[in-house]
Amino acid sequence: MSLLQQCACASSKTKESPTAVPYSRKHQTTSASPPQNDGLSQGEDNRIHSTMMSSGSFVPDTKHYELYTVIGRGCNDTAGIILTKHIPSSKHIAIKKTNLESCDIDFSVLQNEVILCRQLQHEKVLPILTTFIHDHELWTVMPLMAYGSCKDLIHAYFTNGLSEQASSYILRDTLLALEYLHSKGIIHRSVRASHILVAANGNVCLSGLRDAHSMIQRGRRLRIVHDYPQHFVRSLQWLAPEILEQNLMGYDCLSDIYSVGITACELANGYAPFTDMPVTQMLLEKINGTKPVLADCTTIADLVGEENTNQGHDSGIDSEATNSREITDLANARKFSHHFHNFVEICLEKSLETRPSASTLLGHSFFKHLKKKTSEMLPSLIQPLSPLTDISKLPKAQAGDVDDLAEDINNMSMEEGWDF
Amino acid sequence: MPFFGSSKKSPQELVKAIKDQLQVLGTKSAKGYQTDKKVSEDLTKNLQVMKTMLYGSADSEPSTEVVAQLAQEVYNTGTLILLIKHLIRIDFEGRKDIDRIFANLLRRQIGTRMPTVEYLCTKQEVLFELLNKYEEPETALLGGRMLRECCRIESLTKILLYHEAFYKFFDYVELSTFDIASDAFSTFKELLTRHKMVSAEFLEANYDRFFVNYQKLLSSENYVTRRQALKLLGELLLDRHNFTTMTRYISSPDNLKLMMNMLREKSRNIQFEAFHVFKVFVANPNKPKPILDILLRNKDRLVEFLTKFHTERSEDEQFIDEKTYLIKQITELSGPKDQMEVLK
Repeated sequence: MSLLQQCACASSKTKESPTAVPYSRKHQTTSASPPQNDGLSQGEDNRIHSTMMSSGSFVPDTKHYELYTVIGRGCNDTAGIILTKHIPSSKHIAIKKTNLESCDIDFSVLQNEVILCRQLQHEKVLPILTTFIHDHELWTVMPLMAYGSCKDLIHAYFTNGLSEQASSYILRDTLLALEYLHSKGIIHRSVRASHILVAANGNVCLSGLRDAHSMIQRGRRLRIVHDYPQHFVRSLQWLAPEILEQNLMGYDCLSDIYSVGITACELANGYAPFTDMPVTQMLLEKINGTKPVLADCTTIADLVGEENTNQGHDSGIDSEATNSREITDLANARKFSHHFHNFVEICLEKSLETRPSASTLLGHSFFKHLKKKTSEMLPSLIQPLSPLTDISKLPKAQAGDVDDLAEDINNMSMEEGWDF
Repeated sequence: MPFFGSSKKSPQELVKAIKDQLQVLGTKSAKGYQTDKKVSEDLTKNLQVMKTMLYGSADSEPSTEVVAQLAQEVYNTGTLILLIKHLIRIDFEGRKDIDRIFANLLRRQIGTRMPTVEYLCTKQEVLFELLNKYEEPETALLGGRMLRECCRIESLTKILLYHEAFYKFFDYVELSTFDIASDAFSTFKELLTRHKMVSAEFLEANYDRFFVNYQKLLSSENYVTRRQALKLLGELLLDRHNFTTMTRYISSPDNLKLMMNMLREKSRNIQFEAFHVFKVFVANPNKPKPILDILLRNKDRLVEFLTKFHTERSEDEQFIDEKTYLIKQITELSGPKDQMEVLK
């Protein structure tokens, strides 16, 4: 196969622009390609990120990709995210394979997500490099976010939450992404730790635009929207009260800010507020204006008080009790800055009039101490975790895995054909 | 009027500036197109100003008078076609402003008149310029969006359907890049389904050519093309506006054979979509002889096949009803021979 590969390279190179792109491009373009080798001295990952978008070098052809191991799941487990080597450039990327035969997939939603993402370009929004169909799977080629999602970080090590500084970088970058989306009239609608990804160099990207909604419709910018899709169920915890209320007042971009507040708690506490709470109770709490808080020594007394009253209704299981004692001890031992507490509080403002915009929040005192642009500090703040960069030891995906086998058997069992 | 920013351009000045900048960027020399960064940045800024004039800002509604002047100037100077032609030479964010500007101008209305639509009817090349964007990956999705805005207007749909260029869609929907191919399919579908009367007339008048091409989509190697084409076929045939087309389609034994084979495809989704086309053949009260013959030859097999077909869809009542109906119809099928025997 490698030989074939080289043949293809050699033949297509002659027609290419003089820039060093040693592999074929299916679509010939007339544009003067931007200079692609200007960033050699910069951080490798940054460069990949920027040139990946502009170069159009990712070809919709499976032959260009060598699949390694599954590193994540997406879309309700119907999609696998696979660590992949892009053969022409030897770069590591990620491919999301979505099984379109699965009945859980709403094809048009998937299509909208891809088409929307392809029209966005921002350092903090996860780009889609190319997409194509292979058998009954949709392959979405994306940069490798080697630390995984913030939820992965929490799962892997920071079960009691990330440090305030790590959280501040992540939230700052999330807000930068939202500032961009909101300026385009796009409401993200599912901001949560599992949709915030971290690259090896610490760059943070917002992903998960499946539920995103455009406020610009038919050549007019809507002031509010009333769209309440069915599959919101997974994100209920993070959604703003005005979305959950589903009333005529509608909602707008500021509803994402509420989700940022919930995500801030999720990052710092290690779990999202309202976890384990019955949906109706959560709804009531949100509508009544209950504001979740960061668990530390200044707030834990109130939190524990609440939890005890809650447990009165439940049958108090022992393990839960010890668990909550651990949380109490831990919270008592830490203290978040009042900037952080205030940040969360204003994000979770119930009233849309008082809730600040992404741009306003970026000027919040919580972010004052951060270096202007980079998040290269982030990897040092999430040690001992390390990014997934060495793939040499990882197993390669086997051709024809179990699914295919099952399918073959299915085919065999089919009756004889028709008589025409 | 604003007291600040007295440097504000009038709509005329703005359009002229944009046109001039486009002409600079669109000039081709021996070395290829100009890439003047300054011009490009200024153009993006001007487009933003234009967008704000049309949409208003957070705290001000657009002025009708300014919008009217702006639109008139855009028509008079032929700036629309230039904007679309040189889309790729405009930077990423500027391109999206063009999409917004286009959408806004298009829906402009003065009483019952739609000046931009009228303009486009006389400048049809704008529409085909948009269509051609599907061949330019960087701008394909934007072109598609603008084209779908046009599909909302009946007169523009008519122009697009009856033009030779319409048949390019059959290639575009098979492009290897999923997002572009599926965007093209959305536009294709929109053209064929939004304005029922227009598309019904079109399908009747161009039946042969259309379905020869459509056949290729149904047998495409691309799973998504096949599945989407099959689904759309079902929708088209079941739409009462397309009665004539449906009658013709279900009289062809080749079409029936194709659907029966698709019922057996390994993809369950394709099987399911094929069912919804197949049922029309069976439900037809006036089946031509060749169709009846095929059904009769496969009578027992079909009954057995349908009985086992997608039994897990126990909650889809409509599907179960339809399946039961088909099984009953097929069981009761009798050919001319059988009828003779009955008579004896």
